[in-house]
Amino acid sequence: MSQKIKFKVNGVMEEVNVEPGWSLAYVLREVLNLMGTKVGCETGNCGTCTVLVDGKAIKSCLFLAVKAKGKEIVTIEGLKGKQGGLHPLQEAFMDHFAVQCGYCTPGMILAAKALLDENPNPTEEDVRRGLSGNLCRCTGYVKIVEAVLAAKEMTGR
Amino acid sequence: MGDYSVVGKSVARVDALEKVTGKAVYCTDIKLPGMLHVKVLRSPYPHAKIISIDASKAAKLSGVKCILTGDDVPSNRYGSVVRDSTILAQGVVRAVGEPVVAVAAETLEAAEEALELIDVKYEPLPAMFNAEEAVSTKPPVVIHPDLFKYEPASSFFKLGKRLDADRPNVVMHFRIRKGDIEKGFEESDLVMENRFQTARIQHCPMELQVSVVEPEPDGSLTLWVSLTMMHPARTEFSRLFNLPVDKVRAVQPYVGGSFGRSSTRSELPIAIAMAMKTGKPIKHVFTREEMYYRAGNRIPFTIDIKDGVKKDGTLIARKMNIILGGGGSAEFTVGLVARNCAFGAAGTYRIPNVKLDSYGVYTNNPIATGFRGLGTPEVTFAIESHMDMLAEKLGIDPVEMRRKNILREGEANITGEITHSIGAQECLSKIIDWLKPAQKPKSEGVWKKGKGLAVTNKYTLAPSTASARVEISREEGIALYHGAEEVGQGCDTVMAQITAEILGVSVEGIKSPPNDTSHTPFDSGAYSSRQTYWSGNAVKLASEDARRQVLEKAGSILGVSPDQLEMKGGLVYVKGKPGSKIELSDLCGKFPDGKIVGNGTMVQEFAAEDPETGQIDPKLAAEGKRLNTSYAHTAKGVEVAVNTETGEVKILRVATADDMGFPLNPKSCEQQAEGGLGMGIGIGLYEEVQLKEGVITNPNFTDYRIPTFYQMPSNENLKVMFAPVPHKDGPFGAKGFSEGALAGMEAAIANAVYNAVGVRIKDIPITAEKVLKALKEKEGKK
Repeated sequence: MSQKIKFKVNGVMEEVNVEPGWSLAYVLREVLNLMGTKVGCETGNCGTCTVLVDGKAIKSCLFLAVKAKGKEIVTIEGLKGKQGGLHPLQEAFMDHFAVQCGYCTPGMILAAKALLDENPNPTEEDVRRGLSGNLCRCTGYVKIVEAVLAAKEMTGR
Repeated sequence: MGDYSVVGKSVARVDALEKVTGKAVYCTDIKLPGMLHVKVLRSPYPHAKIISIDASKAAKLSGVKCILTGDDVPSNRYGSVVRDSTILAQGVVRAVGEPVVAVAAETLEAAEEALELIDVKYEPLPAMFNAEEAVSTKPPVVIHPDLFKYEPASSFFKLGKRLDADRPNVVMHFRIRKGDIEKGFEESDLVMENRFQTARIQHCPMELQVSVVEPEPDGSLTLWVSLTMMHPARTEFSRLFNLPVDKVRAVQPYVGGSFGRSSTRSELPIAIAMAMKTGKPIKHVFTREEMYYRAGNRIPFTIDIKDGVKKDGTLIARKMNIILGGGGSAEFTVGLVARNCAFGAAGTYRIPNVKLDSYGVYTNNPIATGFRGLGTPEVTFAIESHMDMLAEKLGIDPVEMRRKNILREGEANITGEITHSIGAQECLSKIIDWLKPAQKPKSEGVWKKGKGLAVTNKYTLAPSTASARVEISREEGIALYHGAEEVGQGCDTVMAQITAEILGVSVEGIKSPPNDTSHTPFDSGAYSSRQTYWSGNAVKLASEDARRQVLEKAGSILGVSPDQLEMKGGLVYVKGKPGSKIELSDLCGKFPDGKIVGNGTMVQEFAAEDPETGQIDPKLAAEGKRLNTSYAHTAKGVEVAVNTETGEVKILRVATADDMGFPLNPKSCEQQAEGGLGMGIGIGLYEEVQLKEGVITNPNFTDYRIPTFYQMPSNENLKVMFAPVPHKDGPFGAKGFSEGALAGMEAAIANAVYNAVGVRIKDIPITAEKVLKALKEKEGKK
């Protein structure tokens, strides 16, 4: 039985007819056309589908869409800096060459956003622990760590 | 390094903004009206006859639009090097996962449900999983009885003598014969022989492989490919479906990581067949499990190496017997990797007597294919482990032993190719300065520390083709059309840098439209680290062609000769007289259609090796001809801690020093080097596709682990260094190196583990179980 649910996505109230088995990732991509959220494994291991649900980093491939009812969701398309424009994390990922193929990037940036919101002054160790649910095959993570630590300075400003 | 303003600088990546904002389009993001979704019913058997297929119930399911079996599609064969694959199984399946029936439906759910309703009856056939059995002259199973009738799919080389009439499962037998191997062993003071093995690895790009095909009303097709080698794939598939090439357009959105997996084009033809049958757009997305079965694996190697050395460490003779255990179809496996791994064994050391045989074989395991390094990291594991073992036995310094044997500029390597642009000594020096191998680290309790290093190379194969076009118009500015394929390595940025350097503008002033065969000139694609050299040279030539035309025209207007002119920031002016100038955009109007068009094609003649000996014709070598495009060189250093109670290996610090000729974009080069180290740690320590009777038992990220943030050492303990030695024919001296970035890690780790606890692990991954077992055996011997 499909169910009509309402939830906020990137600040906009959406009303979607959701089938019981649909994941949030499926609804974001296939119903709402928010293709910035990627899918890489559908088992919750790779983190490419990470979005923010009420500010927490959630793997949207394992999160049932019906559970999004009444929640506030932020995808990469909705990430903004304080003055609009790019978020410091997005700028830091660009400046520090933390992007290669880019497929993990949206999920990685959102996971980093949740991390910095919870702990505005993380150590390198905290960043590694906080992001260890997100995989990247290109970078060896070196420049991603650099970018998140640099963004911490920028958000602190 | 020259005095450049754009190349050699860490210019920001041109693709970064799209990628950090989620706007970058990948194949999986393509949606077309009326699109049907494909699921494939796959063989559960490693080797079986198909007795019957009943899809009648599935066909009645609501939403199902098309069901195809082997009978409904062209039965002719295709492939990357040898044409041994069919679109859907034709009566026989040769590996678990091979596609048998394909369903297209309005929804993915309907397609999935339909698969459940299809009844396929098989008669299992004897299956063979062991590559050593497969390679024998009397194998228990002959997997492709028609192998000798198959066509070659590539212009790289004709199969002919590469097949082995006595060995029916061998699809590539490559040989190097140099000097007199037996005499070499006789003259040696020490002869040592060992066997090394490497595991099956999955490429694990984060993107899932996707095929999207749209049929056009005029019978032509548009293919969206999440693959590399877009142009060659288009040619091969238009042939397969008997379509003129110009009726097939291929479009390449961003590719979400390749690492060689794109060298299998396994299932794009299914989507093509579906689109032709239904007249509807088709989308086929692999699951992660399907990636393990059908996007290819790194081929497992069994390497027997026998070395003869003098007391002072001089290499006199080397014999290598290499078996590559492929799958039920060859993919790149046997065509290229079995041949090319030999060049990995060729590019670093001087050895007067060599006998090398490598065999690419079929087995009934899932397909295996090219992987970052095309065989070099695998042979390096054997060679560089052996170098340490030999030095220890001789009681000499392993570093000095390497130094003594490293090829020098102008010397012939083991294939007779003349060495040029070799930074191996410099790479080694940088690693030694950083690692300080002579200083034994202090161990703590059960954690014993050790250091290890390796030096090696990665060839870029040849021949190859690349074209590029630069268009300058008042309306569009500067547009660069090149066929280098952006799979994450940053080539779009580097290509734009080359044009920007030559036209005196900044990278922001250059547009690079996405790859699309309707406007992108031919390029062989992203493999063998070839784009820096080939595409880079084509872009350089096209940019220089545009520049020449600009300067000639401006010169005639300003009344000076072109060599008195300078080009900078969209202006052409007389050197020393900036007032005497003309704007680039104003010049456009003086050209036909208001457009300055510069064209460039990189053409270079290469020699082909003698298939019996692997040797270049010495006359051609003396003329400066080569077998390979170039060789990147690399050295790796690592310090580990090994837990003597659990066998666990921890990477404490790691470094690479790389010779890429000239770093066109240093930060981009760092990206490749760091990624190579990360991948090397995974492959060295724990990655392995596990098989049981041809079934993969860990086809997911839960059971097959790739390195996370946690498996890597801290940034402070990870070091990237450059030791560039320019290549005379590379663009600005550059050569490709991103596969070399991986090569050497496994051996460096193995050497470090030995240094720490005195056990020699000869098969990777070096898991805790293996280390612990070896430690116990060592204890037992005492």
